Amino acid sequence: MTWAVTGTGAVASVGRDPGELFANLCAGVSGVGELKGFDLSRHDARFAYEVDDRPEPGADVPRRATALLVDAIAQAARDAGLDERDLSGVPVLIGTGLRELRSVELWQRDGTDFPPQDLHFGTALRAAFNADDTHTFSNACSAGLYALALATDLLDGGTAETVIVAGVDVLTETMYGLLERVQPVPPERVRPFDRNRAGVLMGEGAAAVVLTRTPAAGRKVHGVVRSVAVNCDAYHVTAPDPGGIAEAIREAQAAAGRKPADIDLVMVHGTGTLLNDEAEAVALADVFGEDADKPLMTAIKSMTGHTSGASGLLNLVVTLTALAEGRVPPTVGLDDPVDEAAGFRIVTGEAARAPLAVAQLNAFGFGGVNAVAIVEAAR
Amino acid sequence: MNVVVTGTGVVLPRAASAGELIEPGPADAPPVEPKDLLGRKGLRYKDRATQLAYCAARAALRDAALVDTAGALAVAPLSVAVVVSSNYGNIDTITRAMDTITRETAAAGSPMDLPNASSNVVASSVAIRFGLRGPNLMLCNGATSGIDALRWGAGLIRAGRVARALVLGVEPDNEAVRAFLGGARTVDGSAAVVLEDAAAAAERGAPALAVLGDAVRGAGLAASLGRLSDAAGERPALWQVPETDDLPGALLDGVPRQDLGARFGLASGALGVLQCAAAVGWFARGGAGPVYASAGGDADDASAGLVLLRPAA
Repeated sequence: MTWAVTGTGAVASVGRDPGELFANLCAGVSGVGELKGFDLSRHDARFAYEVDDRPEPGADVPRRATALLVDAIAQAARDAGLDERDLSGVPVLIGTGLRELRSVELWQRDGTDFPPQDLHFGTALRAAFNADDTHTFSNACSAGLYALALATDLLDGGTAETVIVAGVDVLTETMYGLLERVQPVPPERVRPFDRNRAGVLMGEGAAAVVLTRTPAAGRKVHGVVRSVAVNCDAYHVTAPDPGGIAEAIREAQAAAGRKPADIDLVMVHGTGTLLNDEAEAVALADVFGEDADKPLMTAIKSMTGHTSGASGLLNLVVTLTALAEGRVPPTVGLDDPVDEAAGFRIVTGEAARAPLAVAQLNAFGFGGVNAVAIVEAAR
Repeated sequence: MNVVVTGTGVVLPRAASAGELIEPGPADAPPVEPKDLLGRKGLRYKDRATQLAYCAARAALRDAALVDTAGALAVAPLSVAVVVSSNYGNIDTITRAMDTITRETAAAGSPMDLPNASSNVVASSVAIRFGLRGPNLMLCNGATSGIDALRWGAGLIRAGRVARALVLGVEPDNEAVRAFLGGARTVDGSAAVVLEDAAAAAERGAPALAVLGDAVRGAGLAASLGRLSDAAGERPALWQVPETDDLPGALLDGVPRQDLGARFGLASGALGVLQCAAAVGWFARGGAGPVYASAGGDADDASAGLVLLRPAA
């Protein structure tokens, strides 16, 4: 089975739609900047990859995650020719790491009005799109690709013809602050797979795709999803396990009928943390073996920051354009790769040009929740 | 493919089994103490939702004979998915950590709070404690979340990803949650069920306690009930009602109603799973089927429904 992507939408610190995002990533534009919505006197760390949409600098407002999500879904629905005023009956699967917890923080700190039913996204999606089959999956940093996996199951089982899959996250101050406690030197940027990486910085964004069993005649198809494998390390609440990651990669490739040598592009999870990048590199080297030097690889978190639940689907939206155009954004800030990744063909410096047919997308989250997708160009 | 329930675990102040959801203990029962049920080992730094979930998960896995009393898993770890539903699970961690940042600075925060700041901590912690390596899902989906979790658990089985899924709902009661809910008291407990491919259950000799029928969604309770009725093809023997202030009396007129939220406290994301466990208790006491479970009313973004059937004798 393959499932066609007929619509895409995206918003991140470095682009407000899929086209702008891809162009900026290929140009090596980073969305990093000084914190815009927190009280700086409370934090040692200074940087993040935020979407600049607050009404005034330094003041935060509730429901920013919801607004980004609505934006991305509307883009994708329009692109696919769906009636965005009435998405009733269309399953909408949302992956998120932190849902509307930033609004809970503002309620706790400032007494900002925030009713419990706004904690999940269904309430806003019913109001915006008349959507009545919405599902908020809070699956940490692999939530977006987990939601994609469930969408393929719905299409495969014949219970839906069309599914919208979306991912979203904005910074929460608690997650940002607690990361400061485990990263002794506050990073100034995300440097995936670099020997001198200091850790992860959070980013903001949303992405959405419309996935369908049989696209209408004449409808543009951005690419096809071949498989999504999901599992759990059952190992540690924050640390990854290379074994669980490798299993997810093998399962995704097998389900798509592809071997490591068939993969032209790997969109790595690449968070820039000491633990993730090492575990991911070890798993990739293990699965790809002697073919580990064949696929191009890149880590867009070097320019978007870690957008958590949105990251897997931002990767997907970027991948579809990369496959269509034969162009791969670079990993900025990667100067001196770690030993585990030394044999990989990670794109650095300029964007790379190459004919591309098959891509693999990695996403891993706290608690060892792994998701790996195989995606192919529309032909 | 038939999906059946092969185990239940119920951990509420007034009910420690599916049967006690039908015949509960006294209304002034004390809160559940996870350390009394599990021992202290592994509970440190775990939030209340996770601790309650551990209790219900262990009970359900034992009831389904998937783990023995020593905790050893009787099936392949990759064959078991975990699907957890909770809306308020980590509100306590978020508000406490935010308060620390406001009153002091981020440097005063505890690194042990880091995993609990991610809303999926309950699902992943249950997987880690019991070694369950299949797909691991956390739903935070509002009033319908528990029934949605059952739907996704069954979906993972029907898609062939796993043979069985531990589906669990939990809502803790604490000061932070009460403040967030304007004073409402949640169930302060957890319910879990094991869903299983009927063939896989039969193969290992696990009896079916209930059969999962179709799951539906709709904008509004009447629409959802209409779809449930179409799916079931017959009037229910019992209607498990949603948590809503304005339940129309005319709906399913004459059908006995079961209001678990009114009896045990605001169940929210745990409601659907509690309803499934209560249906098992109902069938075990000779209750007829089908049972309709409903979560989410007209004031919510949607209403979800599920048909639960009495297993063949």
